[in-house]
Amino acid sequence: MSLLETENLTVKYGAIAAARDVSIEVRTGEVVGLIGPNGAGKTTTLGAISGLLKPAQGTVRFNGQVTTGWAPDKLLRHGLALVPEHRRLFTDLTVLENLKIGGVTAKASEREERIQNAFELFGVLKTKARTPAGYLSGGEAQQLAIARALMSDARLVLMDEPSLGLAPALVDVVFDLIESLAAAGRTLLVVEQNATRMLRAADRAYVMRSGEIAASGTGAELLNRPDLFEEFVGRS
Amino acid sequence: MSELIQQLFDGLGRGSEYALIALGIAVIFGVMHLVNFAHGELITVSAYVTYFMFNNDLNWWLIIPAVVLTASATSVAIEFVAFRWVRGATDFTQMLTSFGVHFAVQAIFIMYVSASFKSYDRPGWIANTVTVGGIRLEVIDLVTIGVTVAALLGTAALLRRTMFGISLRAAAADFDAARLMGVRSDRVIRGAFLLAGVLAGIAAVFVLMRTGRASPTAGLTPLLKGVLAALIGGLGSLSGAVIGGLALGIVEVLLIARLPAAWVGLTNGFVFMLIALLFVFRPGGLITVGKAERV
Amino acid sequence: MNPETTVQPERTMSPALSKSPASMEWVRRLGGPLLTSIVLFAALVLGGLLYASGGGGARDSLVTQMLINAIIVVGMQIYIGNTGVLSFGHVGFGAIAGYTFAIFAISVERKSVTVSDAPFGLSEIQWSPLAAIVAAVVVTLAIGLVVGLGLSRTAAQSGAIAATVITLAVLFMAREVAVNWDELTGGDRAGLSFGIGDTLESRWPIYVALFASLLLARLYGTSRSGRLAAATREDNLAARAVGHNPATHQTLALVLSIVVVAVGASLRVYELGSITPKFFFFEFTLLTLTMLIVGGRNSLTGAVLGVVVITVGNEVTRYLAGPSVDSFEFVFRPGLSKLFLGLSMLLFMIVRPGGLLPDWELDSWLFSRWRRRHETKPVEAATDEDTSLGSEVLKAESITVRFGGFQALDDATLDPQPDEVTGIIGPNGAGKTTLLNVLTGVVPSTSGRFSLGSNDLSSKQTHAIAREGVVRTFQNLRLFGSLTVRENVAVAALHRSDSGDSGSQPSVEELLVAAGIWDDRDRRASELDYGTARRLELARAAATRPAFLLLDEPTSGMNEAESLAMTAQVRDLARLVGAGVVVIDHDLGFITGVCDRIYCLAQGTVVAVGTADEIQADPIVREVYLGSVADDGPGEPRDS
Repeated sequence: MSLLETENLTVKYGAIAAARDVSIEVRTGEVVGLIGPNGAGKTTTLGAISGLLKPAQGTVRFNGQVTTGWAPDKLLRHGLALVPEHRRLFTDLTVLENLKIGGVTAKASEREERIQNAFELFGVLKTKARTPAGYLSGGEAQQLAIARALMSDARLVLMDEPSLGLAPALVDVVFDLIESLAAAGRTLLVVEQNATRMLRAADRAYVMRSGEIAASGTGAELLNRPDLFEEFVGRS
Repeated sequence: MSELIQQLFDGLGRGSEYALIALGIAVIFGVMHLVNFAHGELITVSAYVTYFMFNNDLNWWLIIPAVVLTASATSVAIEFVAFRWVRGATDFTQMLTSFGVHFAVQAIFIMYVSASFKSYDRPGWIANTVTVGGIRLEVIDLVTIGVTVAALLGTAALLRRTMFGISLRAAAADFDAARLMGVRSDRVIRGAFLLAGVLAGIAAVFVLMRTGRASPTAGLTPLLKGVLAALIGGLGSLSGAVIGGLALGIVEVLLIARLPAAWVGLTNGFVFMLIALLFVFRPGGLITVGKAERV
Repeated sequence: MNPETTVQPERTMSPALSKSPASMEWVRRLGGPLLTSIVLFAALVLGGLLYASGGGGARDSLVTQMLINAIIVVGMQIYIGNTGVLSFGHVGFGAIAGYTFAIFAISVERKSVTVSDAPFGLSEIQWSPLAAIVAAVVVTLAIGLVVGLGLSRTAAQSGAIAATVITLAVLFMAREVAVNWDELTGGDRAGLSFGIGDTLESRWPIYVALFASLLLARLYGTSRSGRLAAATREDNLAARAVGHNPATHQTLALVLSIVVVAVGASLRVYELGSITPKFFFFEFTLLTLTMLIVGGRNSLTGAVLGVVVITVGNEVTRYLAGPSVDSFEFVFRPGLSKLFLGLSMLLFMIVRPGGLLPDWELDSWLFSRWRRRHETKPVEAATDEDTSLGSEVLKAESITVRFGGFQALDDATLDPQPDEVTGIIGPNGAGKTTLLNVLTGVVPSTSGRFSLGSNDLSSKQTHAIAREGVVRTFQNLRLFGSLTVRENVAVAALHRSDSGDSGSQPSVEELLVAAGIWDDRDRRASELDYGTARRLELARAAATRPAFLLLDEPTSGMNEAESLAMTAQVRDLARLVGAGVVVIDHDLGFITGVCDRIYCLAQGTVVAVGTADEIQADPIVREVYLGSVADDGPGEPRDS
């Protein structure tokens, strides 16, 4: 069943349409990739879905409701979480406090339980629970960002460039994490620059170019279309 | 020696009042990065509430909760009318917004209430003193110091231990990210203004007990002292605001006691000069909030 | 650096604007501001005379006051508009000037009544009004310079907000002194007043002062210092990183604005015939700031427009609240004009914070139209593969940095060669950006030293290091947002003229072409997409003509094709300006493609150094950096 659906979504910055007529779909239990070159409108699309940006046209439907123009906190309460670009941790708050904020919508007892779960999944966070998030290394910070988003127990987690700015070894950690979340039945919509890795991890993917969806298909299908890489991702 | 202790104590009493005001300014600055020049208007509004209640023969024990309530409600109302529209705007825009509010509120009082002073009687006990080991302690100073300590501890506990406090700090650090986490930022910011209003209300009670009069500009001097105290302490730091307030109070009392009689009127002028000097040598204020510059 | 290596024969033939005749440059520099000031002056004065000709002494004096207010607002615009620091203190400076003027200009007989005991024998002297204005300027400047010292340091280190609070203290200090120093100022109520007949009767002094203020303000706005102040307003750290000392420009702006405000304040006192503390306090601050803000503080034209709009509005509210209007008594009553000003400020901040004219000047508008018609794209300067980059070694020895308990750098030693592109790689948290921060004076090192050639830079500030030739870009883009692409580069190029040898430098236009952003040259930096913004940052850094360019993740957020293009652009620009390059990046394809030598950092220390092949083969590097990728096969290595 379709958990998230956008229909002809258009987002403008002033006169420039950064995303045009974007129609995508994410079904429950899927990992969907959104790839494409820089400036293609991927983050913009994610922004419109998560309520950070107001679309000029089109609709967003999440979990059976039209959610176009909803505020991010309202969307989160309905089960849609975003791991934002550049992680956006609260650097002055401790790791534990960051996790608590992630679970701000939950009851206190549930929040505690999820924090324990997060500590099991991300051991390093437990050892640094009282450390301000600003002192974490890049990999630890990315783990915290993802753990924080999972705290809300969202039905759908959007991730914006989770591998951005990470050393290759940590990129592996992130994609391993995405795969293990997928195996656990989580529904994910992931924006990535690292197209090859994303296509391997994704059930399906959309390729964006200059604000529009240029292609879509299963990860394997798209991997076998070198023309896409050449034209859209710039890989030679 | 005992003279100095006496002056230090008097300074603490005076400074506690500044500290309470500075604390409210620091809370708002922390969340919105806004120096709220309209914070003084909370005291102006409180002054008129006091005046009217007093004229209707209500006693101070009723006036106190009424003042705190009025200040809090006004603080939230000002946020609703003005500051919510400039959230996230530049510092310049936000400061001038608060400046505009400051004058608009003042104008409303001039137009619809009175342009001149209104006096009321101060409570009898505030002139009482207790003598301990040769030091004369004014009761009102003792109460102010006690309440300030309690207010600081309460505010700190609120910010560290409650979900509201953590949300407030998160929203202060990154407004959009906090919203993405499901923090109802509107409520959190309203909460911050409520908190600042409560603090201003408590401060107003002491200011008004000491001055005994209401006027459209009643909040101006307390505002300035509060802003300066917050600045001395390093803007945005709560403990800094309190330390800045106390330091300001002590310096004032010491100057008044030591300046030649003809110059006592210029005390504030000297205080401003000292502060300007402080910033030549320590541009970050007394307490520099430890934050690595992220580039 | 050898000039032949960068000047290509075809460049001398390129019809770029910088090659336009020097006379054109002078017309633009002097003629533009002159034109703008004449037009603004004429508009204000003619408009005023037209209104005053409707008759009545009240109209006459209103126009006079408007013209004087215009002088003061123009003075405030010089500082507030150019530096972006909100100042409440200028009215305080006005008070100082006003009192100084009064005490010098008022007759001995008048003073014997009000301030017979004035200190320093001031009750015994009487100067001509002109001499008294000079005295007012001198005294105000002396005080202003002391304040300015604290102000510029505070603005540079704690930001504009702290500086604003200090200006507020200036306003209050001036008032406290005026109220309490009775012997000098006549105290709170009486103040100082002229005898009847001593006050300003002719408008000519006002005309002269107004025109001079307008011209000065516009000349400053278009000057080198004014443009640098504006760049600092947009991004303080970025301005320092391209070699500008913000304190210098802010202080100059403050000095000029104080001079203008002091003259205006003196004239105001002269015209009113008296002064008391409330003449120059909160209400006058509100009036002048509202004029400046409503019109548009960043432009002189805006400031003048604001003076007119607010004067008219204020007059209307005064009339409505006055005795001649009886209806709507519940709204139209005394206090209305304060409400009008307060609400105007509030509404503009909410709806249109930039004011009516946020960024428009007659001369720059005309010039950009003229340029658009006459400009041609310069031919791209070809740089050949053998061209050397820089000429001096950048040496970093045993750099150690600790933040609290965290060791960000531990005894790191590097010596990037001037004729190479040096790469720095390493896992996250290895200390790469911290190293760049140390080398550009943004973060102080705990121990260790670094130098360029024989020039020790270890204890220098960011702007001084940039002037010595070590210039950086930022991981998270720091452009001068409201300036155009061309202005961003031009402002960075300004401090090159310090060094004197300008013959061999590529022009701003050539840099724009080399960086591939020529077509975007007239767009605002804040409107650019990510890739263009990155290239602009590179061009801006290159425009300072550095000995070394330090690039912090120039391809972050770019795809492979863009990264590849960046490889060529980095080398081309480095050759064009003759700079060695140090580059940090995560994109191995980019790093191995562009770098001659690569350092690998781990936990704050250099663990390996070598060519791309050597580094990729190095087992330590594989372990700390490539991690598991090296073991299970790189799959789709980005560097293949």
